[in-house]
Amino acid sequence: MRNQLINYVNLLFAGNPEAVDIKEEILQNTLDRYDDMIAQGRTPEAAYSLAISGIGDISELLRSSTAGFVFSASPVSNSAPQESEQKKALRKFLRGIAVGLFILCPIPLFLLQNEIGLCLLLAIVAVATVLIIFASKDEKAPLSELTPQQKMTKSISSLFWTIGSIIYFIVSFKTFAWHITWIIFPLIGAIEGLVHACMDLKEERKHEK
Amino acid sequence: MSIAGDLIRGHTDAIILARLIQSDSYGYEINKTISNMSGGRFELKEATLYTAFKRLEEAGFIVSYWGNSGAGARRRYYTITPSGREECRILREEWEETKDIMDQLLETREEP
Repeated sequence: MRNQLINYVNLLFAGNPEAVDIKEEILQNTLDRYDDMIAQGRTPEAAYSLAISGIGDISELLRSSTAGFVFSASPVSNSAPQESEQKKALRKFLRGIAVGLFILCPIPLFLLQNEIGLCLLLAIVAVATVLIIFASKDEKAPLSELTPQQKMTKSISSLFWTIGSIIYFIVSFKTFAWHITWIIFPLIGAIEGLVHACMDLKEERKHEK
Repeated sequence: MSIAGDLIRGHTDAIILARLIQSDSYGYEINKTISNMSGGRFELKEATLYTAFKRLEEAGFIVSYWGNSGAGARRRYYTITPSGREECRILREEWEETKDIMDQLLETREEP
């Protein structure tokens, strides 16, 4: 029964591997309660159910452990879940479209059987990737404390590399100069660095004002 | 019990701080003491207790350290800080005042 209790707590935290400390503490306290109940002469089954009912609702706990600590459950926080519900729906929608695109992307290649087909395939993959990025960005935004500037930089970077890869494949397939086309990647890196530098500069000027 | 329970839960921080002024302690021990002191009528859920620990620790009222339990597993102990003692004093004063006001407000002058 004691092992079952350990399993139960492990399962309770299964989706939150980052909450190791919380899990260890709650597990220890729950086991303490179980042992205490046994010592008081309860049956293992009774001790098990008492220990579990003593845990309470940990969902609030896990939310606060990942999203920075919420001090009190004030009425103000009521609007937040609604908002994220909407965002969740949008993310699901975007992800759905992206997955659909990934599945359908070989069709142009099958139909056209040439480089244009391949280009279309890669273009579809690119669009799907961008959608996935957008869909996942919203999810991470509240967790990390990125400034809008940093968020933009991140999206631009991912866009850059996606477009760069497409250009790389198109140029390579068109020219068959695979031995030299890799130069595109260092180029993307250089351009990316330049763009970031420009953006940082702009941000600094904004701060000076 | 449910109304009284909610009322008491509103003072979880004060209760925990008051326990820790007595001695360093860990989750289950604190909960057991609370249960005993209330004659088994009040007890905190693990989740509530942990949330309170986290909140008090972030506010600098308590600090935690890992100690060993009997079975060889780690156990997280809590100890109160000077600002925690001060906070506990303030909360107790607030409670005394609340109690005083409530006593006044609930007073009735019915003739028996």
